[in-house]
Amino acid sequence: MATLSDELRASLREALPPDTVSYDPADLAEYGRDWTKVYAPAPSAVAFPRSTDEVARIVALCDKYGARVVPSGGRTGLAGGAVARDGELVLSLSRMRAIDPVDPVAMTVRVDAGAVTEAVHQRCAEHGLTWPVDFASKGSSHVGGNIATNAGGVKVIRYGLTRQWVLGLVVVTAKGDVLRLNGALEKNNTGLDLRQLFIGTEGTLGVITEATLKLTRLPGPSQVLLLGVSDLAAVLALFRVARRGPFVLSAYEFFTDKCIARVQRHRKLRVPFDTACSHYVLMEVEAHDRDALEAWLASLFEEGLVVDGTMSQDSSQAAALWALREGISESLSATGMPHKNDVALPIAELEAFCARFEAVFAARYPGWEIVTFGHIGDGNLHLNVMKPDAMRREDFLAQTHEADRELFELVRHHRGSISAEHGVGLLKKPWLSYSRTPEEIAMLVAVKRALDPNNTLNPGKIFDLP
Amino acid sequence: MKILVSLKRTADPDNANKVKVAPGGAKIVTDGLEPKVNPFDEYAVETALRLVENGKTRIAGDTVVVASFGPKEAATNIRQSLAMGADSGLLFTTDDDSLDGDLVARALAKVVEAQKPDLVILGKQAVDGDSNQVAQVLAETLGWPSATFAMSVNLSADKKTVTVGREVDGGVVKLTLTLPAVISVDLRIVGAKAVTNNVTPAAFAYNDGPRFAPLPMIIKAKTKPIAEAPLASLGVDTGLKVRYTGFELPAARKAGIKVKDVADLVERLRTDAKAL
Repeated sequence: MATLSDELRASLREALPPDTVSYDPADLAEYGRDWTKVYAPAPSAVAFPRSTDEVARIVALCDKYGARVVPSGGRTGLAGGAVARDGELVLSLSRMRAIDPVDPVAMTVRVDAGAVTEAVHQRCAEHGLTWPVDFASKGSSHVGGNIATNAGGVKVIRYGLTRQWVLGLVVVTAKGDVLRLNGALEKNNTGLDLRQLFIGTEGTLGVITEATLKLTRLPGPSQVLLLGVSDLAAVLALFRVARRGPFVLSAYEFFTDKCIARVQRHRKLRVPFDTACSHYVLMEVEAHDRDALEAWLASLFEEGLVVDGTMSQDSSQAAALWALREGISESLSATGMPHKNDVALPIAELEAFCARFEAVFAARYPGWEIVTFGHIGDGNLHLNVMKPDAMRREDFLAQTHEADRELFELVRHHRGSISAEHGVGLLKKPWLSYSRTPEEIAMLVAVKRALDPNNTLNPGKIFDLP
Repeated sequence: MKILVSLKRTADPDNANKVKVAPGGAKIVTDGLEPKVNPFDEYAVETALRLVENGKTRIAGDTVVVASFGPKEAATNIRQSLAMGADSGLLFTTDDDSLDGDLVARALAKVVEAQKPDLVILGKQAVDGDSNQVAQVLAETLGWPSATFAMSVNLSADKKTVTVGREVDGGVVKLTLTLPAVISVDLRIVGAKAVTNNVTPAAFAYNDGPRFAPLPMIIKAKTKPIAEAPLASLGVDTGLKVRYTGFELPAARKAGIKVKDVADLVERLRTDAKAL
């Protein structure tokens, strides 16, 4: 395993305050991994810089001495993008968490990359504003990580991806240069938008250290509905109707009874109605006309689209319903070992895909626990398989790898993506070619070589250099 | 069996930290906070509903009436109880600031005279004023038996008595009341088997907590009646006995300190905190 050279250690000691770099085994184990449980962490150092300038000095020195750098945020990633398993230096942005005063007129806020997503939400809420990037791990995830992974989440159907809510970026390049991209400009038509190169490229092209976020008004009162339906086809049928409902649809999520069983085991939460259903839909709507909403709901029962359901009567009930959905990912990991797939399909292909994937899983995983949920409203499905308790970990990984091939063939056939919002990292790297053509991959490689000629930044993530 | 439940709307108790005191300490300002049903009153609604059903469906002939005092907007909160399953609502309109526990109790006594319920169920207190008086004053005014802070309620098969469990130091006291009676409920009343009526099968377990309104009931709630009348129409003296003389926020907590290591901690505990 590679370690940092003595010259590099000495240079880091000289260039930075004494407590910046840690070689403590506890730190190495902690900061070398993300929420992916598959990889053993083995970094050789963890740096905790306090400023963009310190990040620049660290990266420049690593690049000079041939050490590799894994940028690290809240480490809530699910594809191994922040895993350091081969003697890298982990660059944790956790000390850089400043949030500047919100500009309520421009509707922007400048933050350091290590600002926790939920802290940004709270600060903006004081001004009636929000940064509409929202997901279950917001209490741990960092803004920098959200941007580097172009995070999705539960409000994408309403607001789009992280990419749409970033105005300016400060980025440290592999050479240690500092780029200040786009400032706080909404409009800037001056050629290639370099900012977008660093959004969603998982820290392989540069280290995001600061960002100016675009904000929007907090939505008005919303209602959260939990509806029980008979099967996956009904989830899609209900979606078709909801698209035309008398409201703004701000979330359309689904999950199965198996998800709920795991949530109940881990968090002791239950679905608050009696009829047992195999599939559930969680909808959040902004309805300005309550009577129209209720009439629409009545029509769902008349048409037999839903079996049972409830609607939040106040914000506490809304939060309680969301807790069922947001508890799933955590509950799966806490009660077992999930193999996660996060695929996206064009909305128009969802029905055909769903009809076939259930058959693939049934054949590949006879008797295994299949746990499906997702943001079906934007074509994103989380297809998880739980490791049978008696099965060895290696056997499980080998079997799921074989099944993935078949699954991703199906995804390719329906013109979908092998990773909707989790990124590629290490976990989905073997499957990149199922979503990207050889011509595209050649271009990705060319960009990487141009921006990071020594392959210093997050090497081996997304793709291996040929 | 007819049950009357009283309901108060309170500023969102989940955001109690956003409550402000007006300059000069004259009043509490709750602007911008969502008005929610006082949680203990929601438990009272849940208790009433559990008494008039067999676990799944309603017992024919039994009714639950919900009464509230406050501005017209409180109808929204009554409607939420109707969506949970209550049958009708009564709203006596007045300002939130023109009420105190004594007035509410005397007004409720008038409502009881008109409605003739067999049982009145209330939350033990409202989470805003924490006064904890209405059930007691109401029972006294009516001359009815009462049990406060109920953590369990058992309605006898002949529906002539209720046995109420009350948590006390070291155990549970059980009181049996002859109906009509007044009960105020505490948090544990919404436990899975806290409310029994000798109709619901003994094995039946409710979800903990007040129920979520089922969608069909939400839709149906629109057609359930809410009778609205000015508070003065009850013929009560609307003068207040409780006068608030001033409000102030609790003193802010002092910031903590960081200690270097265990030795430093022990030293500080000895010298600064004088805890050792």
